[in-house]
Amino acid sequence: MKWLATYPERCVGCESCMLTCSKTWFKEEDKELSRIQVSSSESGYAINVCNQCGKCIDYCPTLAIKRDNSGVVRIDESKCVGCLMCAGFCPTESMFVVEKREKPFKCIACGICSKECPSEALELKQD
Amino acid sequence: MEKMKLLAEWKYEPKKIERGYAGRTLYVNIGDRSFKEKPVTEDMKEKFVGGRGFGLKLLWDAVKDTTKWNDPENELVISGGPLCGITQYPGSGKCYTVFISPLTEQTYDSNAGGYFGPLLKFSGWDALEVQGKSDRDVILFIDGDNYKVEVYESPFEDINAVTITEALHEYFADSEEDKRNISVASTGKGAETTNWGCLNMSFYDLRRKTPRLKQAGRGGGGTVFRDKKLAAIVVRKRGVGPVSNNPADISVLQRTGLKLHKEIRDLDDQQNKMRKVGTPHLNEIMNEYHLLPVRNYKFGQHPEASKIHSKIFEKLFTQGIPDGCWYGCSMACAKAVDGFELKTGPLKGKKVTVDGPEYETCAGLGSNIGIFDPEWIIEANFYADHYGIDTISLGTGLAFVCECYELGFLNKDITNGLELKFGSKDDLMELIHRMGRGDDKFARIVGLGIHKMKKVFAEKYGAPFDVMEKIGMEGQGIEVSEYVPKESVAQWGGYFLTLKGPQHDEAWLIFMDRVNKQLPTFEDKAEALHYFPNFRLWFSLVGLCKLPWNDIEPADNVIKYKGIEAAKVPEHVQNYVDLFNAVTGKNITKEELIVQSERVYNFQRVFQLRLGKGTRRDHNIPLRAIGPVFPEEWEARAEYYDNELKAAGIDSQGLTTEEKIRKLQEYRLSQWEQLVDAVYKRRGWNKNGIPTVETLKRLGIDYPDVVEVVRKHSKPEDNWEE
Amino acid sequence: MIRVNGEEMEWRPGLTVKDILEAKRFVFPMIGVWINDKPVPRDKFEATTVNDGDEVQVIHMISGG
Repeated sequence: MKWLATYPERCVGCESCMLTCSKTWFKEEDKELSRIQVSSSESGYAINVCNQCGKCIDYCPTLAIKRDNSGVVRIDESKCVGCLMCAGFCPTESMFVVEKREKPFKCIACGICSKECPSEALELKQD
Repeated sequence: MEKMKLLAEWKYEPKKIERGYAGRTLYVNIGDRSFKEKPVTEDMKEKFVGGRGFGLKLLWDAVKDTTKWNDPENELVISGGPLCGITQYPGSGKCYTVFISPLTEQTYDSNAGGYFGPLLKFSGWDALEVQGKSDRDVILFIDGDNYKVEVYESPFEDINAVTITEALHEYFADSEEDKRNISVASTGKGAETTNWGCLNMSFYDLRRKTPRLKQAGRGGGGTVFRDKKLAAIVVRKRGVGPVSNNPADISVLQRTGLKLHKEIRDLDDQQNKMRKVGTPHLNEIMNEYHLLPVRNYKFGQHPEASKIHSKIFEKLFTQGIPDGCWYGCSMACAKAVDGFELKTGPLKGKKVTVDGPEYETCAGLGSNIGIFDPEWIIEANFYADHYGIDTISLGTGLAFVCECYELGFLNKDITNGLELKFGSKDDLMELIHRMGRGDDKFARIVGLGIHKMKKVFAEKYGAPFDVMEKIGMEGQGIEVSEYVPKESVAQWGGYFLTLKGPQHDEAWLIFMDRVNKQLPTFEDKAEALHYFPNFRLWFSLVGLCKLPWNDIEPADNVIKYKGIEAAKVPEHVQNYVDLFNAVTGKNITKEELIVQSERVYNFQRVFQLRLGKGTRRDHNIPLRAIGPVFPEEWEARAEYYDNELKAAGIDSQGLTTEEKIRKLQEYRLSQWEQLVDAVYKRRGWNKNGIPTVETLKRLGIDYPDVVEVVRKHSKPEDNWEE
Repeated sequence: MIRVNGEEMEWRPGLTVKDILEAKRFVFPMIGVWINDKPVPRDKFEATTVNDGDEVQVIHMISGG
């Protein structure tokens, strides 16, 4: 299974992962549209990103969410009706919903952000 | 399935939904197979909003004062409402059916989940009106993808719901995946042979790979459907998505929906467990509080109720499936039993998915007829849906029959060999199958409903009418739903001071009144019987389900609010105000929300009046609904009832139980009359229960023809003294 | 003596909200409790004791089936 491991204690809060992500997948540099969200916390930074647990698969009424061959949980946009149950029931709240997008989005473990990270706080894993 | 024969076809222009409205309604005359579109005016949106409001307005324009349920001009109107079809908020897929009822002979409205309402709107129609009667069984198909309406000759010999629904999903879909873009409205043979015909509205369950049936159960809409020789109405619309309803501001829908999803995620397991058991969570609660109807409402509690505890249904229902009956319903109360092998009837031996049972069915086709067997209840539920019979009227109707049988008013000669005692599982199931076949005279009489059964039993079999009047649990011609109302004066009103008869879609005040003691005076009760019916009616105007309003509540609801305010769940009321404004672009307040309802409430009341009902005389209540009728009922809670007499200031020393019962009845009937007066005053009606012209003016529904109906029936002596 | 929804009920030292609900057979899960008009959180029913003379209000948050 492919997934993105995070080490928040190494995070320096540069947000380059967020900018890279939104640019890669939505063609614009907008942190809101990133599939990984970094925020400041009491002890430094918190990183919120999907761990590919796949609970959302069971909540989707249209079977739009599936695990692909490499174990990554993906949304088929053509089937998604934007009901947001996946986002509401996500145990880690890593299914994101923003005003400018009618449908939710999530990390698909592409690993591009981990290459941009200057502090090795992100790592694409395969197990 | 072979290709169906096309009888008529009509093409229409595509239309984009604007802020929740298609802006037009579809009229179909199934008799001469003509079609037309009608515009939705601003006044119609303002005064009638949508859903049931549109249904009543269209029906008002379509019928005469003398129209009967089976006249060709009676209509079946189906309408969703402006919020119907949004995908972000739980419970947003309801549609409302409106028609003149064979049971009550006045207007009735009944709602269903499933995908019918949303797909109808997204096909371009705020409402569908079906008038006329066909000369043969037909299938009406609204093709929202190709913008045409078609009428096909029905190829079905077996017009029962499950058969027809499965076949039509298959017929009109291009693929398995496509089946979810279709919804079928259907009923069954029982809708022809009884007045209890329900409508089944389908949605396709992609995981179970079978259509599911949600019922607009009450009032006999299915009977009207079959009287028109409709075998099914099918609607298909592909490509439904988050903005199909074209809301003014989608961000509010997202924010509000997400908030409620999380609330349900975090709290449902500790609150009502709707996601795991659905409404049967009430089974044990009602039993505990003496509210579970047992043996035709004689009792409110039974030791065997543990056999129908929700824990048992939790095991029977398949868990972990998103059981919403429309996209986005995370409350997911549409539970189902899978792989259920039928033990009786025409489909004996077949393994089926059974929708439900819900609480009402567990009580109606369970405790109320003396049966505490989940498997039997599930089987009866399946066949009632399949034959197109309302499980609530069926349950209460059978309970009445059982009591009549045990009282000796009926016997095996009359019932054609059936021993219809409480708990007679096999014979009661056989009676249901006889309704489904329609070949048995006695089953036909039962299917007329309690109101007419009383007359037939008296005239044909010499049963004492006065006793049946006391124990027959109906009002305005329709059977009472499944709560024992005896001990709550406010709930007498919640059931019997209603627009269309005793069901609980207007007000459920038993706990508020009787247990919480929040409604001490008649004025308090009248206020609750103003607010709650109007608040709850609003769901029917916009296309929403009532359950996500108060079957889940924010964690801090009872900390932030107190008493009746808390019972209103203010944060959820605000959600509804926000959703309405976000869809329509309007700017209503929570007070205006009530006025929207009040308009339609009073309009429907005048409509009943126009059809020869709708006065105080029609707000009748049977004695079984206000207390014990027979000594065994009193003795079951003797201490409690003795205290009731004492609290009423009645000395019961030396009285026999029969005398005590009479005393309590006299006292409670006087309370009933006081309640009626207080409620009529609060609602702005005269002494005879007719809305005053001032009320119509205040609400802005003083249309000349509406005022004329009120003037015609109002007498000066019915005015309140100053 | 305390009053629960206006009705008198015997008081004893250590009487908790949970005890009251059990004695009254108030089993509905969505219940709101106020002691002398102050709300008691649902997760504190067992830990909250009432004093002699308290006015207890138990509201079932159900107004619809």
